[in-house]
Amino acid sequence: MASISVPMPGVQATPRPKLSEYLRWSVHHKIIGVQYMATALFFFLIGGTLAMLIRWELLTPALDFSPTGSAYNSLFTMHATVMIFLWIIPFWAGLGNYIVPLQLGAKDMAFPWLNAFAFWLIIPAGVLMLAGYFVGPPEAGWTSYPPLSVLFSGDGQTLWIISLHILGVSSILGAINFIVTIKNMRPDTMGWFQMPLFAWAQLATALIQILGVPFLAGGLTLLLLDRVAGTAFFDPSRGGDVLVWQNIFWFYSHPAVYVMVLPGMGVLSEVISVHSRKPIFGYKAIAFSSMGIALVGFTVWAHHMFTSLTPELRIPFMVTSFIIAIPTGIKIFSWIATMWGGKIRFNSAMLFSVGFLSQFVIGGITGMMLGAIPVDIQLHDTYFVVSHFHFVLFGGSVFAIYSSIYHWFPKVTGRMLDERLGKIHFYSTYVAFFFTFFPQHLVGMQGMPRRVAEYAPEFQTLNIIISISAFVLGISTFIILFNMVWSIYKGKVAGPNPWRALTLEWQTSSPPPSYNFKGEVVPFEDPYGYGTEASRVYLDEMEKRLTPANLLGKGGAAASPEPMTGD
Amino acid sequence: MENSRYSETFDFERKRQREEALRLKNARTGINLFQGSWIFAFVALIVANLQLRSSSPAWPPLGVEKLEPLLPTIATLGLVASAVFARRGFRALKRDDVRGFLVQWRTALALGVAFVAVMAFEWLTLTPLPEVRLRLANGVETMGVLTQYNAMFRVMTAFHGLHALIIGIYMWNVYRGIAHTTPDSCTLWSVEAGAKLWYFVVIAWMLFYVVLYWL
Repeated sequence: MASISVPMPGVQATPRPKLSEYLRWSVHHKIIGVQYMATALFFFLIGGTLAMLIRWELLTPALDFSPTGSAYNSLFTMHATVMIFLWIIPFWAGLGNYIVPLQLGAKDMAFPWLNAFAFWLIIPAGVLMLAGYFVGPPEAGWTSYPPLSVLFSGDGQTLWIISLHILGVSSILGAINFIVTIKNMRPDTMGWFQMPLFAWAQLATALIQILGVPFLAGGLTLLLLDRVAGTAFFDPSRGGDVLVWQNIFWFYSHPAVYVMVLPGMGVLSEVISVHSRKPIFGYKAIAFSSMGIALVGFTVWAHHMFTSLTPELRIPFMVTSFIIAIPTGIKIFSWIATMWGGKIRFNSAMLFSVGFLSQFVIGGITGMMLGAIPVDIQLHDTYFVVSHFHFVLFGGSVFAIYSSIYHWFPKVTGRMLDERLGKIHFYSTYVAFFFTFFPQHLVGMQGMPRRVAEYAPEFQTLNIIISISAFVLGISTFIILFNMVWSIYKGKVAGPNPWRALTLEWQTSSPPPSYNFKGEVVPFEDPYGYGTEASRVYLDEMEKRLTPANLLGKGGAAASPEPMTGD
Repeated sequence: MENSRYSETFDFERKRQREEALRLKNARTGINLFQGSWIFAFVALIVANLQLRSSSPAWPPLGVEKLEPLLPTIATLGLVASAVFARRGFRALKRDDVRGFLVQWRTALALGVAFVAVMAFEWLTLTPLPEVRLRLANGVETMGVLTQYNAMFRVMTAFHGLHALIIGIYMWNVYRGIAHTTPDSCTLWSVEAGAKLWYFVVIAWMLFYVVLYWL
């Protein structure tokens, strides 16, 4: 199939900020965005290393290098917490920081200082979290259920709680910033429904965070007091109740999975429309379904507690869990309808988005299976659950993160990522991902429990397949890391708008100047109006405005010698 | 040429004003969002309280006295009055009545201090503190000294009191600033923010007050 990668000759008009600017306090949203994303990538590598250790341990049914089961417990606890709280959530905060103000034609976020503060909370929180691993590691899983998290884990658990408290503050501040920016800082000509869908997704995410994270903060306060101040809110032997924690925790943490995936859905709405050269199908349906997910997300938490819930309470939560599939399904079908009949460019960004679609649907369907009470009672705490949420979080969130990197890397750095490496990365990730996580459904159905280091010998064959695929998946990550580092220096110069996209972040040079836009910002009437004559005229007009001569006022810089061609 | 240069400076001034207005609008939205968001931390404690209550055979547990609501009710009325004074102070400053502001705000602060003092007294007298301190020092579990009922009361009042203290200190700072300098539009905003945060303290306490004393 013919695919066009780069349709437009590129120029790089604005120099990139110096490396040292990223290493110090800055209140500028683009710097902060990159700081967030780079930090998140660092923690991704740590979390990935822990995942490799977990798979190494599970190569054989016996204990391999973990001296005890407890050591293994702390491995998966750290893996989960680092991946969720220090990789996916901060990465989306960073991408939102970089892209949302640009998409809205704003100069910066609403509260620049607060923005920087929210980022710099991540670093001490991450240090505390990792330090906890070495001072008596937390063993209670990322859910941190008492009594395990109160009576058995070491001091690391206390640091874990404090670290999560700090990350929570960071999330709330960031979320307030996003909502205020999106509500107040659009140009006059951009109504709510001319807003890019990525901004809608970030808005829904931020709403979940401001409503959910304080709830977790309350619960963490009680957990901390139980550990350090001698209270016993979660200790049944002294009149406490462990279910108090489970309710509070899941009331935040179920919506938190939408915090991890909603921005990814926003990325898909951008990428699929741009690279299919077609208007997005059902703009309002996608926008409102983001809000719907945010809302319904708060009513499903107890489906994590089916096995500890009284039977008559299970039914309503099963029903709400099924209902939340509807807005998600609306999005999936809208994206497919967007691609239908489009002039699709299957470049790396698009491939990862289509990969998201296929894998996320599997994760969604296993989610529905687990939402059904009889299935859940059987499969609770088996590898089926592990498989389900990795399909949603890796096949969903991380694929969307990769897609966003391929899509917006040219905007952030001014250089294109290498397409051939990108495709190798996609195919190896896609295949290795599938063979890492799909067989986990099978071992789960056969009855292998999660969170154990030793398992029955009959599960070994599948576990070897899983572990080897996981190692391939781990190695495939280095392809994109190498690609990014190499492309920053040697990649083709991208030019302001390599994808000929209509959203505002592309209507300025790459990387954008510190003031973002020169002169007045003119958004196109429909951010996804691809394939129309008006959009062609608009893009041509913007292209003329964004020549190096216009951007710099004279001569221009770093014009690429020859126009780039597609493969 | 002259004309265009003139229009540029004019634009600049208008732009500055627009940015100033936007900053204020952003700050207002931000404070409102913070109030709507952080109240859920208090709601989480209420949920914990209600669930512990429902899983306990008797509430308060046998042998534990029910909290005496008389003194806290008076303190609560004082707290509500302080919110009214804080609001009146803000409106006085809006009318450029600095003296009026200082009087109202001083009253609000005094009532706030009285409230925190009363609740601190309640906190200390509810269960004898030395026992708790002993238990913390040597790490020995003394069963039943701090029942769920009393522990929940301690956590909730302390959590609220901490917010009252921090926001009260902020308000006191704003007050001192205005007592010593001439207020401008920026200080008007800090008074507005202080008043709004103080409403937050009052509303959070009203929730806790109902749950702790009347449910």
